[in-house]
Amino acid sequence: MLRRRFQAMGTQIELVLDTRPSATAFRALAAAEADLRRLERFLTRFDPHSELSRLNELGTMVVGPALLEVVELALDARQRTRGRFDPTVHNALVGAGYNRTFAQVPRNSDAPPEAPARCAGGIRVDGETSTIELEPGVRLDLGGIAKGYAADRAAAILAQAGPCLIDAGGDIALRGRPWPVGVETSDGTLTLELSEGGLATSGRDRRHWTRAGAEQHHLIDPATGRPAEGDLLRVTVAAASAAEAEVQAKTLFLAGASAALEEASNDAVVLVTRDGRTLLAGALA
Amino acid sequence: MTSHVVRLYAAAGTLAAFFLAWAGIAARPWVEPPRDPRLVAMEQREQRLQRDATLVQQVVDRRWAAYRAALAQRQAAATAAPAPPVRVVTLPPVATTRSS
Repeated sequence: MLRRRFQAMGTQIELVLDTRPSATAFRALAAAEADLRRLERFLTRFDPHSELSRLNELGTMVVGPALLEVVELALDARQRTRGRFDPTVHNALVGAGYNRTFAQVPRNSDAPPEAPARCAGGIRVDGETSTIELEPGVRLDLGGIAKGYAADRAAAILAQAGPCLIDAGGDIALRGRPWPVGVETSDGTLTLELSEGGLATSGRDRRHWTRAGAEQHHLIDPATGRPAEGDLLRVTVAAASAAEAEVQAKTLFLAGASAALEEASNDAVVLVTRDGRTLLAGALA
Repeated sequence: MTSHVVRLYAAAGTLAAFFLAWAGIAARPWVEPPRDPRLVAMEQREQRLQRDATLVQQVVDRRWAAYRAALAQRQAAATAAPAPPVRVVTLPPVATTRSS
């Protein structure tokens, strides 16, 4: 089993390749790492020179295939989730205090959060000319879906060398053989086994901070423009891809426990409520 | 008298025709004038760039078509792919998913 760990996309990344050491295996690991780092340069909102930051600044831009594809995935997800998943929450995140990398966000500050920002902003994508046009004032945050997309891409690269698992800070993509993956529950860890697709967890238990005594977190409810107030602590979803798992996890988190239990379709879903219950839904129910 | 004037005009006309012909032949209209080598180089460069641009456009078109096809395939897979079979096991996990 070959492992490679490195820091990218604002988190710890681990590549696991279940094969014997060989030139092919090491080349695949290097290619997967290079691809993740390349995507980070395009898709992060924390680097003012990234392609995403330039798009946010200019409003209209001819973009490369990676940014175009992730924005199209995000728009498709917004349509399918009827706006619960929304890539235009950038201004709301910044208003809540998440205006720099999470490591640099002050955990406690007396400054109050800004007024809620409007979400559901207009985005027009012209695939023929590879142009993205944002409604004036609208900015994109592709954080979660970009990480899932990058993990899926890395898995596709590594899979050519053998069964593989990519752990991108909790967003997991896997291929080739059954992989046991842990899911944090309210009182321990539940282990799920799957051989294709991805898992992602959305929750308010890790990226959270306080502004003027009020707890803030990074899961913005597009309906209010504020960090979501629900009865869930975190949601884990196993789906056909890590990007799709990320979309579903965020969508179910915003839905709340009772709606999530109903809406969880064929995907395996683990819900952990704020009052300490663990609920299995979808394919696990 | 009349024939003298006629001869004079004829001689003058012949002389004029001779000089006109001489000037015409000396101008060598069948030979292309020498061209400015800078213009020639520029035209050659333009043709080369046009050829290169056509080739680049063909490569871009080919890659773009491949990208659109792959994107459509990935989007279809993301939305229509069945959820992967998942089961609860008691094995030690290789990795743990957590809030990202």
